[in-house]
Amino acid sequence: MLKPLAVLLCLATPALADFPEAVTQHILPGYARFAQASQNLADAATRSCDVADLRPAYQAAFDAWMGVQHLRFGPVEQGGLGLAIAYWPDPKGSGSRAQMALLTGDAAQLDPAMFAKQSIAARGLFALERLLYPAGNLPADPCPLTRATTTDLARVAGEVNDAWVTAYADTMLTAGEAGNTTYLTRPEARQVLFTQLVTSLEFTDDSRLGRPLGSFTTPRPERAEALASGRPLRNIILSLQAQKALALALTPDAPQTIAAFDHALGLAETLDDPELAGVAMPESRLKVEILQQAIEALRIVVLSELGPELDVGIGFNAADGD
Amino acid sequence: MRLSLFATLTTTALTATLFAAPVFAATPEAVAQTYVDMAAAGYGDSLTTAQALQKAVAALIASPSDVTLAAAKTAWLAARVPYQQTEAFRFGNSIVDDWEGKVNAWPLDEGLIDYVDASYGQSDENPLSSLNIIATPKFTLSGAEIDASALTSDFISGTLHEVDGIEANVASGYHAIEFLLWGQDLNGTGPGAGARAASDYAQGAACTNGNCDRRAAYLQAATDLLVSDLGYMADQWTSGEARETILKDPNAALSAILTGMGSLSYGELAGERMRLGVMLNDPEEEHDCFSDNTHNSHYYDGLGIRNVYTGSYTRVDGSVISGPSMSDLVASADAAVDAQLRGELDASVAALAAVKTAAEGGMAYDQMLAPGNAKGEALIMGAVDALVTQTASINRAVTALGAAGVAIEGSDSLDNPGAVFQ
Repeated sequence: MLKPLAVLLCLATPALADFPEAVTQHILPGYARFAQASQNLADAATRSCDVADLRPAYQAAFDAWMGVQHLRFGPVEQGGLGLAIAYWPDPKGSGSRAQMALLTGDAAQLDPAMFAKQSIAARGLFALERLLYPAGNLPADPCPLTRATTTDLARVAGEVNDAWVTAYADTMLTAGEAGNTTYLTRPEARQVLFTQLVTSLEFTDDSRLGRPLGSFTTPRPERAEALASGRPLRNIILSLQAQKALALALTPDAPQTIAAFDHALGLAETLDDPELAGVAMPESRLKVEILQQAIEALRIVVLSELGPELDVGIGFNAADGD
Repeated sequence: MRLSLFATLTTTALTATLFAAPVFAATPEAVAQTYVDMAAAGYGDSLTTAQALQKAVAALIASPSDVTLAAAKTAWLAARVPYQQTEAFRFGNSIVDDWEGKVNAWPLDEGLIDYVDASYGQSDENPLSSLNIIATPKFTLSGAEIDASALTSDFISGTLHEVDGIEANVASGYHAIEFLLWGQDLNGTGPGAGARAASDYAQGAACTNGNCDRRAAYLQAATDLLVSDLGYMADQWTSGEARETILKDPNAALSAILTGMGSLSYGELAGERMRLGVMLNDPEEEHDCFSDNTHNSHYYDGLGIRNVYTGSYTRVDGSVISGPSMSDLVASADAAVDAQLRGELDASVAALAAVKTAAEGGMAYDQMLAPGNAKGEALIMGAVDALVTQTASINRAVTALGAAGVAIEGSDSLDNPGAVFQ
């Protein structure tokens, strides 16, 4: 008598994890936090331009961005808003050049409407990092540019959040329903999230770790992400945490995936090399390589366990190509 | 450069329905055959047009003049037409993707090769970005002296290309040759392309900007190398491994076709080559930045994507290679997906044609990238949006074929996780 009842209860209980849960419990709260943190930073910049006053709010905004930066679809893909929040890597130094021109140029360019039209490389978190953690003396008082950049970041973060709240969440939640031309089926919504997970792990592997690792003979510690603000390892940890949260929101039935996340997170949290400077020395380099291998192994587990569990494969994504 | 992976979606009910339907109009075997024949023709045309360029370059070097320089430029532009259409073969075939950097690597730090304007600056990430090998018969790399006295094809491919492990050190291929024919485009987002004078190749006292003998040697060697690299790839598709790989496993062809279409549409063309340039407002972020030929390069990329789907390629001599197509196969599995995708491919080709028309009408691609050029931005973003839109339907074609019982193959990492550790 008990057994059939248990089966009946199982059938009657809807799944508590799927793409709608990922939207409501992971994505929407994440963008709301980022919008709030960016607004806090802009508010702080109106009160003070002292870098010591602004750095904590900057770090908090970057932390909040790491909660959603693995999601490269939807509103952040529209009009390049995601790139306007975080443009990295910048191999040609476009950001620095464009900012120097703004620092010494016509102040009218800093007007919000004009600033929104500037190169993405001169905007967002990485542009702010060059102002709040400058490598040398800046050619002019950075205060007006700092304020313009924080104001713009708050606006963009707010726009992305609004787009999710007012429209895109519904686009995802109504996947497969009549009239939805973006997601013709529910698996298409699952697939896009799965694709974000896999490609963001690839980004951590190739860029956050691969760039500073360089090669054994030519390590490039100076190429680590957000080095000036001391965030290279922190970004990797926060990224893994956010990716794990997305996986958990999608399904409760991916134990190997979660174990692989925990393994990689354990390695990252005990690395004791916040700037990944150790890539330049053989012994400490090995530890960074082990972390990279763990994330690569994690990506394979996600493909082999989580994909079949969600019954989707990886789709085309922004990281295809070079 | 990882290829996209696909899992086979299995929907039993749908499969059963489809197997009861009439026989496929096209089989995977027939679609694979069309695909390799189109690739052989496309790389064959790329080779013959590069050979024409090789002759034009030899004539320029033998007798530098405005006329011979213009003829070489015309030959280069003509060579881009078939080559760009082959880019749809790149991402689905590792033989092509592993080789592609030799012939079409981009973007490049051109100061590696020749003189540049004072405004060029030194790259933070590339110590050799202003090496100017044409003026530098010897240089030091990681403490070792490199002999660059002979600027041969072997030196370019074996030593200089991607020297120091840096991808921006592009020493070979179309864009290196483009730079040597046109020179830097110093007009920013204003009108005008590179304006190298023919006298950069004049021997003796008439030589401008120095080292004309070495510049000529470099240009000839780089062009010879392009011909030899394209010859290798043409052979790959007439009787080589690339052709055999596809023909012995026709399902691999289906995967190659759709992977090539989707990866080029979205990540590479829409993202890396088009949208990023708009967002950076940077004229250096255009694919053919010296010649201002970017509108054509993008247009023929888009055409190439449609070619492999519809199974039809018009050769440079006007003849047509065609046969049973991916479109036929997808239509058998899901007619609605096929109709939508065909419509979207037509729309992206039309949007890219609008960019081409505007450029030919006087608004060059780099001018479209200017901050505040709303019309230019709308033209480029219109094409970007069309490419992104069709990518979703390419994904749907994968799903439709999977559901119809055609196994779209994943890569080793998906099908056999252990393989990547071997």
